[in-house]
Amino acid sequence: MTHTIKQFAPGAATLLIGLAAAVASFQIGLDYDGSWGPRIFPLMSAGVLILLGALMLRSATSEPGNTSPQESVPRDPFILLGLVILYLWLIGKVGYLISTAMVTPATLWLFGIRNPLALAFSALAAPAIFHLIFFELLGVFPPYGAWFDLLDVIGG
Amino acid sequence: MDIFVGLATVLTDPVILAWIFGAAVIGMIVGAIPGLTASAAIAMLVPLTYYMDPLAALAFLYVIGKSGRYGGSIAAILFNTPGTAASAATQIDGYPLAKKGQASKAMKVATISSVIGDFFGEFVLIIGVAWIAAIALHLGPPELFSIYLAAFVVIGSVIGKSVLKGLASAALGVLIKMAGLDPVTGGERFTFGQVELTDGLSLVPLMIGIFVLAEVFEQLAKRSAPPEITEEPDDQASRDRNRLTWDEFRPCLPHILRSSVIGTVIGMLPGLGSTIAAFVAYGEGKRSAKNPEEWGKGALEGVAAPEAANNAVSGPSMAPLLTLGIPGSTIGAILVGVFMIHGIKIGPTLFVTSRELIYSLFACGLIGIVFYGLVGYFGAANVGRFITRIPVNILYPVIMLTAVISAYVSRGSLFDVGVMILFGFIGWGMKRFDFNPAAFVISFVLAGGAEEAFRQSLRLSDSGILIFITRPIALAFLLIGIAVVIYRVRSLRAKPEAPSLKDA
Repeated sequence: MTHTIKQFAPGAATLLIGLAAAVASFQIGLDYDGSWGPRIFPLMSAGVLILLGALMLRSATSEPGNTSPQESVPRDPFILLGLVILYLWLIGKVGYLISTAMVTPATLWLFGIRNPLALAFSALAAPAIFHLIFFELLGVFPPYGAWFDLLDVIGG
Repeated sequence: MDIFVGLATVLTDPVILAWIFGAAVIGMIVGAIPGLTASAAIAMLVPLTYYMDPLAALAFLYVIGKSGRYGGSIAAILFNTPGTAASAATQIDGYPLAKKGQASKAMKVATISSVIGDFFGEFVLIIGVAWIAAIALHLGPPELFSIYLAAFVVIGSVIGKSVLKGLASAALGVLIKMAGLDPVTGGERFTFGQVELTDGLSLVPLMIGIFVLAEVFEQLAKRSAPPEITEEPDDQASRDRNRLTWDEFRPCLPHILRSSVIGTVIGMLPGLGSTIAAFVAYGEGKRSAKNPEEWGKGALEGVAAPEAANNAVSGPSMAPLLTLGIPGSTIGAILVGVFMIHGIKIGPTLFVTSRELIYSLFACGLIGIVFYGLVGYFGAANVGRFITRIPVNILYPVIMLTAVISAYVSRGSLFDVGVMILFGFIGWGMKRFDFNPAAFVISFVLAGGAEEAFRQSLRLSDSGILIFITRPIALAFLLIGIAVVIYRVRSLRAKPEAPSLKDA
């Protein structure tokens, strides 16, 4: 019987976050009268996290090891995370329309849509619909691309 | 009397009525889609409400919350998959009824029970809330801080499988809220030189990440099969079988009334929420039933009890939010953001500054109950069929795109989109490791007020933190917090297999 990462990771992560927050809390300036006013709450939260992290680790070591096969970590959410981060970066570089046209079919592909016509249609329809609702009807100022923006060409 | 003025205001405004009706339908659909919750829908739709007047915005989201709680029963009965955590209790008897060809009858009982429970809770809220607010006006910073602390502890320890992880989620929410400028000194805290962090992390993108994007990650990881509906033949025998008679419904009434009281009491306590109410009501109903042997095999009373309690939570859960500024549920936490966006300060003074708005909101709640009751009674099966036609592999990519643009719209900032992505991933990780995203978000919302009350208390005090012990009300709430943790730890040790209570 061995202890799995899933048993230790929550306690270790909580403890590390608490320790990092405690260190960062001491960088916070003091109140006008020299009291710890602005530091108290961050330090209290950090202290609670350290305590709970330690308790979680203690409870993980005291509970029996896992005899069942290791649960595999799903890969697709990490791919989606990369895709969404790429989307954010693309919006800043080529604007909302082009980035959405690129990311929508990729996301649908990830969710199992394989029909090329549907993917092509989504690349056109999704940016158009979202642009119409949010930037035309609601009048939100769209995020412009630093390198190129289609709205400069089509006059949106 | 204020409620009649509110009703007159709402009933004479067709635009608000249209928003309420739309919210009733949207909430029902969202609640019935397994995996998607009313909290997620509300978080995603918050940015749309920036462009609405305050009453329409609040009513729209409030009614989605009510209708979403009811919508979970559609999935529980028709798909054998609870649409919400609370409707798992409805599923115990609802699905056996559907298998017997009595899905429509079960849905009618669920609808009537939800409506009665919701009305009961809403009336208690309307009658009691101003009274609570009047008392709350007399509470000083030490008492308020103790209430906040008790709320952190209750929310952290009661929701979820693990007390330690729940409390850690709450502490993390508090810590994250500390980023930005200190409200008293203006000094930077946890900004790490980032200009965007000086304003702190915005609630709306954080919520969209935790409730919406995290669910998209989860659905991609799970790749759930689309739900399959338990179909009934469209013939005379089926119609006769599904006709709900008074003799069948009458035994449900005592259960509905008892469960309404249970749901109302549980709803007033921060953090407990629909799931606990539904399971407590089911257990209590079975214990006191004349036919306990039929429960679990398709008893109509087994559908009525949890549904009444589940929806009775809705109104009273607004009481701590409106009177103390303490959201008792995730939906309440999201509504805090909407109040802030529209420049409305929540707390006891709300009943002085925005009395008409609040009673109009209650009126919208009452009308919303009627709308979802009518749509549900006559059209729940159609809603169920509609949901089976929604392709999950298109729905969730659309939700992802909506989450991105909704996060951007909140402040017109791509930084907020980054915040949403970060917390989407954190939220997904929290779910996988049994932490508690709901406790995290509610604590994030509470932290600012708690810190303010704490620091004000210390300034008022000649004896430091002993002020929280020397004031009786403050001490009472501290003891409540400690008692809840002890009780919860003991009950988890006694019943390690207790069901997870996921939503607040």
